Order: sequence, then C-alpha cells, then structure tokens
Amino acid sequence: MIRKPNIEDIKGIGYYLGKIIIGLSLTMVIPIIIGIAFGEINPTLDFIISMGITLLFGLLLTKLCFTEKDLNWMQGMIIASLSWIAATLLGALPLYLSGHWNSFLDACFDAMSGFATTGLTLVQNLDHLSYAHNLWRHLIMFIGGQGIVIVALSFFVKGFSGAFKMYVGEARDERVLPNVIDTARFIWLVSIAYLILGTLALGMVGILNGMKTINAFFHGACVFMAAFDTGGFAPQSQNILYYHSLPYEIVTITIMLLGAINFKLHYHIWMGNRKEILKNIETITLFMSIMLTFFIVAVGLVKLGTYPQAIALFRKGFYQLVSGHTGTGYMTIYARQFINEWGDLALVGIIIAMGLGGSVCSTTGAIKMLRVGIIFKALIEDLKKIILPEQAIVAQKFHHIKDMFMEDKQARAALFITLAYLALYGFGAIVGMLFGYPFLHSLFESTSAAANVGLSCGITDTTMPAALKLTYIFQMWAGRLEFMSVFTLIGFLVAAVKGK
Amino acid sequence: MQIKLPLNITLGIITELLYTLSIMLVAFLICLVLTF
Repeated sequence: MIRKPNIEDIKGIGYYLGKIIIGLSLTMVIPIIIGIAFGEINPTLDFIISMGITLLFGLLLTKLCFTEKDLNWMQGMIIASLSWIAATLLGALPLYLSGHWNSFLDACFDAMSGFATTGLTLVQNLDHLSYAHNLWRHLIMFIGGQGIVIVALSFFVKGFSGAFKMYVGEARDERVLPNVIDTARFIWLVSIAYLILGTLALGMVGILNGMKTINAFFHGACVFMAAFDTGGFAPQSQNILYYHSLPYEIVTITIMLLGAINFKLHYHIWMGNRKEILKNIETITLFMSIMLTFFIVAVGLVKLGTYPQAIALFRKGFYQLVSGHTGTGYMTIYARQFINEWGDLALVGIIIAMGLGGSVCSTTGAIKMLRVGIIFKALIEDLKKIILPEQAIVAQKFHHIKDMFMEDKQARAALFITLAYLALYGFGAIVGMLFGYPFLHSLFESTSAAANVGLSCGITDTTMPAALKLTYIFQMWAGRLEFMSVFTLIGFLVAAVKGK
Repeated sequence: MQIKLPLNITLGIITELLYTLSIMLVAFLICLVLTF
C-alpha cells in the first residue's frame, strides 16, 4: 500500500523550499548593483520587480508552511528537485522582462540551462543585452554550479536540519568535510579563490587584446563564472570565438579543467596531499578519457583535412573536445560547422566525451569519471575471475582519497546511473528524430542537454518546436540532479494521487 | 573548517594548474603527430 503524503510532509517541503527561494531572491541584489553602477534604469527595475516577486513567494511559503520538524530523506530529495524548478521559473522573470527572449518558455529554457550549467541558449540579440542581465545569465551558472541548496545553505549561517538530505538530493554524494555547512563554505572558498585568479587572468588577456579595461574585467568575470562552473554562456553571441585569442583559449581550457575536478580532491590537494592528483582514480580516468576521445576527434578531423595545421587542430578540435568533456559548452567555431565540416567520426568522439563528463562532486554533469573508473575496474575484476584459477581470490582496489576495495554495490550503483544517463541521451535523440532531425544531430544535441554541456550543432534555436524545448528542459533538470531526487518527486506525486 | 596555511593553498593551486597544463601538452603532441 502506498502512503498518501500528509499535511506535515507538504509543510516541511514548503517551508524549506521557501527558505531556498528567499536565498535565491537575495542573489538578485548583485545584478541590481551592476545595473545601478552602469546607469541601466530599465534592467535595474526588471531585477527589483523580479526580486520582489521571488522574495514574496519565498516569505509566503515559509509563513504558510512553518514547521520545526526535521526533514526526512523523501522531503530532502523533493525539496532539491523542486528548488530547481522554482529557481528556473523565478530566475526567468528578469530575463523575460528584458524583452530579449521571445516567450516565457524561452526565458525558462535559458534559466534552466543557466542553473543546470548547460549553456544552450535561446536569447535574441545577445550583443545588445544590458550588463545587469548579462551578469545574471552568468551568475545563475555560478549559483547552479555550486548548487542552489549550497547557495541557500551559505545564507543561513547556523544551517538547518536536514541540510545533508537536500545536499545529497542535489547530486552531491560526497561530503568534503564532516559538516555539510562547512562543505558548502569550502566549495565557496575554492570558487572565490579561482574567481579572483581567473578574472584577473582573463581581464589581463582581454586588455592585451585591446579591450577596454572595464569590459575586459566584466567579460573576464562572466567567462570565468561560466567556465569554472562548466556552464558555457558567454557575454557575446559568438561565444569564445569573439575573442580570437590563443591566450584566452588556453586560460579558458585551464578554468574548464579546474571546474571538472572533484571539490573533495581540491580540498585534499589544498591541505597538502598534493600527490593525490597523480593517484586518484578520477584524475587518471579524466586524463585517459580526454586523450582517447580527443584522438578519435583528431583522427576524424585530420582524415577530412578540416584543420591541416597542428595549432588549428588544437585551437578548434581540442578546445571543443575539452569544452564537451568538462560539460562546459564553450565554442570557438560556429554551431553549423559541427555538421558541415567535422564529419561523423569527430562528432561521435565529441558525443562520447560529452556523455562521460567530469568528476563527481564537481560542477560538471553526465556519467562522471568516478563511475567510469569503477565500471572499468569492475570489468577488470570480472575478467580476472574468468582467467585465474577458480580457487584464486580476486580483490580489485582503486584509489579515491584513500585505497578502497571494489564492492559489488559500488559497481551496481555506477552502472545504474550510467544506464539512466544513456536512456536520457537516447530519449532526447528519439524526440529530436520525431521532429525530423537526423539521428546523429539529434543525439549530439540531446547528449549536450542531458549531460549539461551546451555545445550545439544548430538544433537549439527559437524556432524549434515547444515540445523539444520542454524535452531539453527536462533533460537538463534530470541530468543535473542525477535522477534520484527526480524519481523521488515522481514517486511523491504518484503517492499523492494513488496513495491511501 | 581549518584552512590556515596559505602556502599549502598556493602549492595546491600550482599542482592543479600543472595537471591542466600536462593535459594540454599531451593533446598538443597528439596534434603535432597527427598533422605531420
């Protein structure tokens, strides 16, 4: 028998969801300050209105659903999944008010793409978007990359009960520090430290390229936020191609790779355990996987003669590959070039890279390196069992912060999530084909959405069917949350209808 | 959270930057080999 959710379940969800929404509304202060600083009256008003609505909504929820009860696992998971939907709807308000999005659905598409750190966009006339709105597009990537719950936790100094349950619901299954509030603060420490370094580096390169100082640092901050959080939005419609600069590309490749590193690994390396980077299963798998997928892409491109020089192959082929593998989505080519110039083999290489992703507990999406490493080790273990004599005891080890023996439940969990991702990639590809797009192009765009990458071969456009926009929104949401909290929400809704 | 050693953090950041640099270098070598 399925138990129907009671009023206490709903109050617990509503109260903490309200708190997260209040936290989200406070982040709108930043674009308001930017709008005032640049003398942008209308954009500032857009954010004041949106902040007012968001704050009111959050306060209403906390008042109507006030409770002092602890959260259970189900509630924590549901709050995590609902907070991303609420953030999308409320975060889309200032975008829609700007008039640069054709419909509220398009604004929601970009808001989900931002929060989920995807990078697919439906914005119109981006090159004339206000500073405030442009900053907001990148800021929501920064918020989403850290995790909406992490951001909310940071506002509540003493924390609140059930924080860990929401943290897990947001696809962060590793605690960097024993206390989840301290974990949230360490994630902020890493991000802020690299924000300063990255913005300075990009700002200096921008100035050397001839940009005005204020623009160079504004672009630097925006590009850093979207690169480190493996998002992919850029301040200009040509994305990173706009800068036409090798140093800019090298700095962004560095930031994208740093964003793909596990926060737990950052912590151990920053605390003095520097050799960990050479031993960790994730960094080794990431290195190998980037090289293998790049080899596929490079062979495909060289075969077609698309980039005959090594430097061009690096700047175009390797850049898109790292961008895809880390789940960022930054591009130094036009979207249609994937279809017109890259050929099927290079496209397949990029699709595999996008589908694999970066590290767990980082800002990337997709299957992730720890799971790929574990599945590979499990395969080796099974092969050993077949080859070695029956009496032999096979114990496979792997190193992730410490040496660990492989357990069946780890391999099972890794395989379950991998299968769920593959199903999600396939689902979007089938929907794309139903609307008449070729298989490989549909799979490319679908994988890009579900793995929270943002590379586009040209399907994502304001003219694409609304059903496909909704499909990609769902994929971005489910892919970012890694399914469990989405399944829990679906189970909750079924219980609300069919439960007794 | 006890992070009181700025030197450790600086060395940690350098270690991570070296890791990203090694990836770029190997990739560039692949580019060189394949285009020759």
